[in-house]
Amino acid sequence: MSSRDAILTRLRDNRPDPAAYSLPPVARLGDMDASRARFEKSLTLLGGQVLAPQAGESLSAAIARRFPDAKIVCSAVPEFEGTVRIEELGTPQKAADVDVLVVRAPFGIAEMGSIFLSEAQLPTLNSAAHLTQHIVVILSESTLTANMHTAYIERPEFHAARYGVLMSGPSATADIQGVLVRGAQGVRTLSVWWEQ
Amino acid sequence: MKVKPVNHARAAEAFIKDTPHLTFHDERLWDLRQKRDQQMHELPEWQELRTLASQIKEHTLANLPEYLEQFEANAKKNGIHVHWAADGAEHNRIVGEILEKHGVKSLIKSKSMVTEECNMREYLEPRGVVVTETDLGERIQQLDNQMPSHIVVPAVHKLTPDVAKLFAEHYHTDPNDDDPQSLAWSQRLAARPVILAADAGMTGGNFLVAETGTFVVCTNEGNADLSATVPGLHIATLGIERLVPRMADLGVFVRMLSRSALGSPITQYTTHFRGPQDGSEMHVVLVDNGRSHRLGMEDFWTSLKCIRCGACMNTCPVYRRSGGLSYGAVYSGPIGAIIDPTFNERKYSTLPFASTMNGSCSNVCPVRINIHEQLYKWRRVLAEHHELPFVKREVMHMAGRLMGQPKLYRAAISGTETALGVLPRFALYNWLNPWGKNRELPHPVKQTFHSWYKQNRLKTKKKGEDA
Amino acid sequence: MSGTGVRMKIGLFVPCYIDAFYPKTGIATLELLEKLGQDVEYPLDQTCCGQPMANSGCNKDAAAAEALFVKNFARYDAIVMPSGSCAHHVKDNFDAIPQTDEVRHVRKNTYELVEFLHDVLKVDAFPWAEFPHKVGLHNSCGTLRALRTASMSELGEPFFSKPMDLLSKVRGISFATPRRPDECCGFGGTFSVTEEAVSARMGVDKVRDHHEAGAEYIVSADTSCMMHQQGCAERAGVPIRFIHIAEILNGARA
Repeated sequence: MSSRDAILTRLRDNRPDPAAYSLPPVARLGDMDASRARFEKSLTLLGGQVLAPQAGESLSAAIARRFPDAKIVCSAVPEFEGTVRIEELGTPQKAADVDVLVVRAPFGIAEMGSIFLSEAQLPTLNSAAHLTQHIVVILSESTLTANMHTAYIERPEFHAARYGVLMSGPSATADIQGVLVRGAQGVRTLSVWWEQ
Repeated sequence: MKVKPVNHARAAEAFIKDTPHLTFHDERLWDLRQKRDQQMHELPEWQELRTLASQIKEHTLANLPEYLEQFEANAKKNGIHVHWAADGAEHNRIVGEILEKHGVKSLIKSKSMVTEECNMREYLEPRGVVVTETDLGERIQQLDNQMPSHIVVPAVHKLTPDVAKLFAEHYHTDPNDDDPQSLAWSQRLAARPVILAADAGMTGGNFLVAETGTFVVCTNEGNADLSATVPGLHIATLGIERLVPRMADLGVFVRMLSRSALGSPITQYTTHFRGPQDGSEMHVVLVDNGRSHRLGMEDFWTSLKCIRCGACMNTCPVYRRSGGLSYGAVYSGPIGAIIDPTFNERKYSTLPFASTMNGSCSNVCPVRINIHEQLYKWRRVLAEHHELPFVKREVMHMAGRLMGQPKLYRAAISGTETALGVLPRFALYNWLNPWGKNRELPHPVKQTFHSWYKQNRLKTKKKGEDA
Repeated sequence: MSGTGVRMKIGLFVPCYIDAFYPKTGIATLELLEKLGQDVEYPLDQTCCGQPMANSGCNKDAAAAEALFVKNFARYDAIVMPSGSCAHHVKDNFDAIPQTDEVRHVRKNTYELVEFLHDVLKVDAFPWAEFPHKVGLHNSCGTLRALRTASMSELGEPFFSKPMDLLSKVRGISFATPRRPDECCGFGGTFSVTEEAVSARMGVDKVRDHHEAGAEYIVSADTSCMMHQQGCAERAGVPIRFIHIAEILNGARA
């Protein structure tokens, strides 16, 4: 017998009575506030930032102001040029040269300040979201969902994407004597740019 | 040769002697517990979430074979190669074969308790695969050649100078620079080239979703995402108990996982893998390694509900004062003490006794595992299986007989009885001796309550009746 | 005074270590119940509830003690004891012997002193009691997480505390708030000898926490915890005193 079948047989022999343990209905609990204010509060708590335009400033002007030393600014959105397009990077490893990646998230979660990205937003190059030094995420307030329950219930992306990441602020660690360090292995900063 | 039981008490004593490490360890984990409490207070539905999580897990475990088959079918449909490993050896062989087929020399991996269970690094390295842990805490432990001491914060028993010394040895950094920011930066700089040159990436996983064939990995550093997206080959190892039935069930668990673990609302990265990225290959290894056996243990199967948040360790006053390594096992703390004996009853027979059974662990558990009650039940099982130290067993045997005989008992506590039977007095006193090591004895009194009562109540009562 | 006017025939259980080392606690419990108008008897043939053996896993060795306990106490309306962990054992784990009607009666009617005063007698005043000191309350894990005589920090439930309710009726008393009010003190029965180092460290941390919060006394419904804590405090030179809640409620001034 294969290990697969042996394991399944053992599980069938040993398990408690399935009839005694029913599955509760899908939970939809908690605060249903899907506001931008709640999202921003959660985002900030997790170390993310809001890239707020100064008087009429465009996205590219804001990026130039926020990341003055950036040499390679990679764009994964049509309306912003950057110095290189994500499709032009070629291999996953090439994304390591990127200073700033600009990408659009299909939705955000107010409870956690999380943004979602998948291969649909990172054409062929999921690694770009993690190898870049900084990430700027374009987000529309209208796509905010209240919390993790509503996100998993309502968003089709969880059923469609092969790679789907919820990023909640930048990479972080507190593995050395409990001191919080932002920018451990992945992005050092994560900024949200609200779509007008 | 018979395996020797882990000497938790002795290891803990050594840990306690080092005051700076002990104090930090206790305070750091207590702080995580406090942060967890704050998060709980912010969610009025917290107890309801715990109940739901427990129900979902119990249902899943009772229907595990069907859900595993569903997961497998969906994952295969999405292009994932699914493997089944009955034990650690089979897991390592499967991983080794995949790596060999792809000519992998360098493997980067994120934290996985299951690969620790399987001793995978020890298997792969002699076969010419260089394995690099990418989680900072796990990497520190790898460089120090130690097991993780905590399932969420693997190097929590170390202080900054310990890390500075290790990094100086391995990364040639300044041994006197013990700023955590710059040490973390050194790790980033050291890890990047390894990540970029790696032939394959490996991750663990927190959840499997039967409905979609998805597996979910939660990290704060993003190192699992790097391991999965940079090389063209991704292998994920998960225990078969990681399943949930529906995608929407994740809401319950993700809301509690990091809040319970670190007191943060969510891990920085919560990643859903449902299929290989373009041009890549993806494998999932489903590991049993004793789990199907545990499912049949009436008093202990619910330990399979565990989502590995570590909240029970953070709140455990014994764990905080003895350090994870003192348990001598992959899983330490309260959850370790109830699952380790299922791997090796004799070796881990001491762990259910490394507890005061105070019950705080059960209260913080997000999936409502009755950990302290299982500790109590394990003690019975171990006693029945003759896994208690001889002297303790004899002391209890003697005490049990004495407590059933009031006259003998009275004689014994008044000190007039010398023939207690089985155990010579010196053995009993030797066993009780440790009391006085760091504690004074109770003060002697002139009269027991028993004697006072006879004098002050029985006599006066009699007088009253006479009058 | 009793808020219910109930008068019961009570069997008093005085655990072995109280009998031998802390007779004052047993005396205070007896006198207090008498002051509250109860008919109290102390069966002379009592020994132990069986807990030490059962907690060590040696459940069979607890059978003789449990059988004797039932023989001694089956005839009472209520069995009251100044010990949370013993009450917890009898109520929740007392299964080394067959569960006859007698055994069930004993288990169902066993009370730790505080819960008996608070829930059964519903005592609303202790006019004789005055304790002009700042005290730190130590809830043993048995009273807290098994008998549930107070709210538990891990659950975030609304605050309640039966021992605090009772102590609040004592003139002159004030309370210190330790940083970790419901952390275990590390006694743990045989744990105190088999895991001596951890046990003693937990004990000294516990007494320091109370001392630093300004407590002159640690008060508890469990003498076993205090026996351990007192031993740790004396060895470490932490100037703090210990008193059982029964003694304060019975009118002890110091």
